[in-house]
Amino acid sequence: MSATNSSKHLLIVDDSKVSRMLIKAHILAVHADWIIREAATGDEALQMVQERQPDYCTMDVNMPGMLGTEAAELILVQYPEVRVVVFSANIQEAVQSRAQQMGAMFVSKPVTEKSIARALGFFTENA
Amino acid sequence: MNVFSDIEIDALTEVFNVGAGRAALTLSEIIGEEVMLSVPSLKVLSSAEIFPSVLTGKDGKFATVSQVFSGPFTAEAVLLFTENYALEIVRDMMGSQMSIDDLAEFEQEAMSELGNIILNASLSAMADMFDISLNSSLPSYSISSPQDIADRFVDNGSDDNYVLVLHIDLVLEKHHTEGHLIFLLSSTSLSKLVAHVQQYLSNIL
Repeated sequence: MSATNSSKHLLIVDDSKVSRMLIKAHILAVHADWIIREAATGDEALQMVQERQPDYCTMDVNMPGMLGTEAAELILVQYPEVRVVVFSANIQEAVQSRAQQMGAMFVSKPVTEKSIARALGFFTENA
Repeated sequence: MNVFSDIEIDALTEVFNVGAGRAALTLSEIIGEEVMLSVPSLKVLSSAEIFPSVLTGKDGKFATVSQVFSGPFTAEAVLLFTENYALEIVRDMMGSQMSIDDLAEFEQEAMSELGNIILNASLSAMADMFDISLNSSLPSYSISSPQDIADRFVDNGSDDNYVLVLHIDLVLEKHHTEGHLIFLLSSTSLSKLVAHVQQYLSNIL
């Protein structure tokens, strides 16, 4: 890995503006060069992925409209190379296994330095 | 009532979202299946506004579980479920082979435990995220009419008391259960809560 690598694109999907701001702040603290875009719903996320495929995506679950797990699945079917972290306060086993089945990683909220470190570990492993 | 800015409401909603997620985990382990959660919504009202805003149009009685939380601020947290749903939740908790008649005997105990789980999950999320410590009293259970509840909020509160009303749907198996979580705070306690929300946001704003 060298400094000349092109910047990574991350799509943050969360209906909470505060969560999006927290995720963005924690990630930029570690990877200041990443290009970050934000979506507030699953539908908006799908549209943004069509416009530009991100390298990584953090996906909330409980949002107005489509569930984040549904949006993540649709993204991964079309773009299996996108690394998706399902980032949710809904920490039930059923949600965690749904994330794993689709090839995403589950990380439990709240958004903290520690939970972001887990997401970053998944994004950049073997990258 | 503009006690909180939009971004502060967002932060507080997210705190309760984490709390509801913790409560759902525990509930799903008790009833052995997934609990679906709605997106929470939150508003702040004066205690006199609670009746028209939350309790109107509900002719049945509510099952209520309440606990007093104390720490940097003091609040009475009250969880309201419509009564017919409450028995169904208890049936889910106790196993569906029990008859409704048998269940009525356990209702008070089981509902107190359910309330205890949800209230403590919400408050533990708040304590963790705001880095504060909150203590709780034992849960107390009652069946109340909308008028009883409205009277209680007005009696307990002086004119400057506020209520934080959190609305969240919990869906268990076949039953759609609607719950309200209400926090009654004095204006002093509310100011302290606002200060904690602002501190939480200070790192990102």
